[in-house]
Amino acid sequence: MPIPDTLQQQLTTDFLIESFEGLERFDRELLALEKGATSQETLNNIFRVIHTIKGTAGCIGLGRIESVAHVGESLLSLLRDGKIQSSEEIVSSLLALSDALLGILRQVETSGSEGSADHSVLLSRLQDLQSGRPAAASQAVAPAPEPAEENAAFGLFCDEPEPAQESAPQATVPSEPGSPEPQQPAKASVSESAIRVEVSQLDKLMNLVGELVLARNQIIQNVAQPDTAALVAASQRLNLITTELQGSVMKTRMQPIGNIWAKFPRIVRDVAHELGKKISLVMEGQETELDRTIIEAIKDPLMHIVRNSMDHGLEMPADRCAAGKPEEGRLLLRAFHEGGQVNIEFTDDGQGINVSRVKAKAVERGLLTADQARILADRDAFNLIFLPGFSTKETVTNLSGRGVGMDVVKTNIEKIGGSVDVQSSAGKGTTLRIKIPLTLAIIPALIVTSGAERFAIPQVNLLELVRLEGEDAQRKIETLYNAPVYRLRGRLLPLVDLNRHLGLKPKGSADAVSIVVLQADGRQFGLVVDQINDAEEIVVKPLGKQLKTLSCFAGATIMGDGRVALILDVLGVAQHAHVVTEVRDRAISSDGAAAHADDASQTLLLFESRKDRPLALPLSKVARLEELSSANIERSGSQRVVQYRGQIMPLVLVDQHVGGDGWDSAALQDPMQVVVYSERGRSVGLVVSRINDIVHESLSVQRSSSREGILGSAVIQSRVTDLLDLESIIRAADPDFYEHRQAV
Amino acid sequence: MSKVILTVDDAPTMRKVVSLALGGLGHQLIEAEDGMAALELIKLRNVDLIISDVNMPRMDGIEFTRQARQLPNFARTPILLLTTESDPTIKDRGRAAGATGWIVKPFKQEQLVAVVAKVLPA
Repeated sequence: MPIPDTLQQQLTTDFLIESFEGLERFDRELLALEKGATSQETLNNIFRVIHTIKGTAGCIGLGRIESVAHVGESLLSLLRDGKIQSSEEIVSSLLALSDALLGILRQVETSGSEGSADHSVLLSRLQDLQSGRPAAASQAVAPAPEPAEENAAFGLFCDEPEPAQESAPQATVPSEPGSPEPQQPAKASVSESAIRVEVSQLDKLMNLVGELVLARNQIIQNVAQPDTAALVAASQRLNLITTELQGSVMKTRMQPIGNIWAKFPRIVRDVAHELGKKISLVMEGQETELDRTIIEAIKDPLMHIVRNSMDHGLEMPADRCAAGKPEEGRLLLRAFHEGGQVNIEFTDDGQGINVSRVKAKAVERGLLTADQARILADRDAFNLIFLPGFSTKETVTNLSGRGVGMDVVKTNIEKIGGSVDVQSSAGKGTTLRIKIPLTLAIIPALIVTSGAERFAIPQVNLLELVRLEGEDAQRKIETLYNAPVYRLRGRLLPLVDLNRHLGLKPKGSADAVSIVVLQADGRQFGLVVDQINDAEEIVVKPLGKQLKTLSCFAGATIMGDGRVALILDVLGVAQHAHVVTEVRDRAISSDGAAAHADDASQTLLLFESRKDRPLALPLSKVARLEELSSANIERSGSQRVVQYRGQIMPLVLVDQHVGGDGWDSAALQDPMQVVVYSERGRSVGLVVSRINDIVHESLSVQRSSSREGILGSAVIQSRVTDLLDLESIIRAADPDFYEHRQAV
Repeated sequence: MSKVILTVDDAPTMRKVVSLALGGLGHQLIEAEDGMAALELIKLRNVDLIISDVNMPRMDGIEFTRQARQLPNFARTPILLLTTESDPTIKDRGRAAGATGWIVKPFKQEQLVAVVAKVLPA
């Protein structure tokens, strides 16, 4: 009675999972061995993995794996018995053995057959290594196990004569040293098709499902004979059970991040060898748990980051010595939960990101203009490495230079709702931080209504809710050039009307405005909706492929009443409404730190002079926007000044400089709109007539040196807008202002 | 009459292979993941045949056999060891520990059935 095919297949699958897991452990223990772990337990574990693979493979008819494993087993048994000593070469070839076995296993997994890859070089290398041991060479270098004679394959000791004593002097053969301390059970594996779940967890699930069935029965009964009180009780139970069930099922999907990190020591070792670098890898927080799908999604990006750190971040030993650092570079991986998200940090103590080289490269690749590069803040320059088509290394190595850049890393992380940030300090090292959500399947969201439709907004993007009632609703929202803004605690918040945006008919009352303050890509904007409903946990359902191209929606969910609500993709909405710019600019722009450039994308404050002339200033130059009473203006010599935060702040009437008019007190409105510029504790106030907007724009500046106080003009929001030359205006108004630079 | 067969192996797939190979004989098959677990198990219940791997964590098959033989109920219970070609000493150490017989891994289903038939008369 041969084993049926389906069972054979099941056995093979089990064997694959078991072996993938085993080989991972094998690699890990080998690296420990190389680092100097000499415990017998380590050697036993290493031996046992190959031994088990060999034995099982033979039994389920995978002869090729069996014979390859056999040669490794022979070498390992010598190692285990202390007949040969571990060396780098041995470890390397054993790792190569692991790769070879993995290769065949994958082949079996995909094609069902063992393939025909040639392993003769590896096998002869492994055999050569065995002969490096003392004496009694022939016996262990056994050929791949031929099925031995029938008689020897099994038998009973009572059928045999007593063994000849000399064959195995029992006194000298140590009994196999089984370690007395209990071994850690192997952690659940991250094999693609199967995971391990604690039996207790399954029992709990079964228990909960049982309760669910009971609750259902109660409800069904109730529908037949309505009894409100009982129905309420049953719904409450159902609610509790569902919540608990959700948590339990989620837990079965959670996996420690250590599962994907497990491969890193091996990779770090190999890559370090290849590059001729010395690198130690430290990992903290391996037990940090993440949803399976997320684990899968970040596997490759994480790998790429590690490779990148080794390739670009850490220096050659000689360079490190020259820089006064220990020869061995350090790569620290840290994972931890924070605020409902998982943070993963990669810190190396390498050379850091060379800002000027990064900038130069970005310019060379046409990702940035020279002028832009000159004034780009370091913090933003680091993030240039995430731009598509960027690579600073002169020679493309086969490690990082696989055509997969950091931009792909960023895209992939963002695809699952995560973010990437990099910080670096020249000569000291680089830290790359990834934040990712715990799960993608069920997310907390805010439900809003607009045009009789409900929408879900992921809480991650939500900052606060603002409701304007009565007069405020009319007064506080200013509409400028079709771009409504609201002044939220002194900051201008661009508003996006969801109704208008999606072409819906507004249903909300006209005397109240609900604003959902959202953050996308580091920029804030307000989404105006008809009604704000409630916060809810929603189950994310992907959109059908016909709707996938709509960037405004991230998916759909089914509400309690059975109707469908679309989930807003906040970044998509923001981009669609041009509140934030397109993908390409993203790395450069953050928090308005990109300073004034000639023709670049930057964040600008738009305002008007008294003569309704549209003017613009880089937001980075603006310290505060103030409303000051014109009654407070005092004179100090020829200057107009106000007392501002315990200091004397000179005021500059913008028209005075860009138009040539003198100070005209009569024309001042009250209160005055003042743009405060600060440098090193000193401030200057620019008096303007109206503050309009903050925009993020890609500018095309026509330089004009002819007019005083103006850098040039550009078309912003379809109006010709002058860019203020702040420095020359301030110099004209307060010649001393910049003199203090040297003094400080 | 149905007998109880205990398979001891740290590799689940291997346990399954043994169970499947013997599945047609109508015996009850139980498993343990190493010598230590098997020893705990047989202190609690009787079994009619033990098929044990040798190389296992915590407690190997040789040591398990030795300790099982100390238990009054298991002085005569057949214990078959799954040995391997690559370590010729196992057979002798198994015999010394009190094992009944051996099967070399990898084995064919018929071989396993044949040796089981020898020690477990129907």
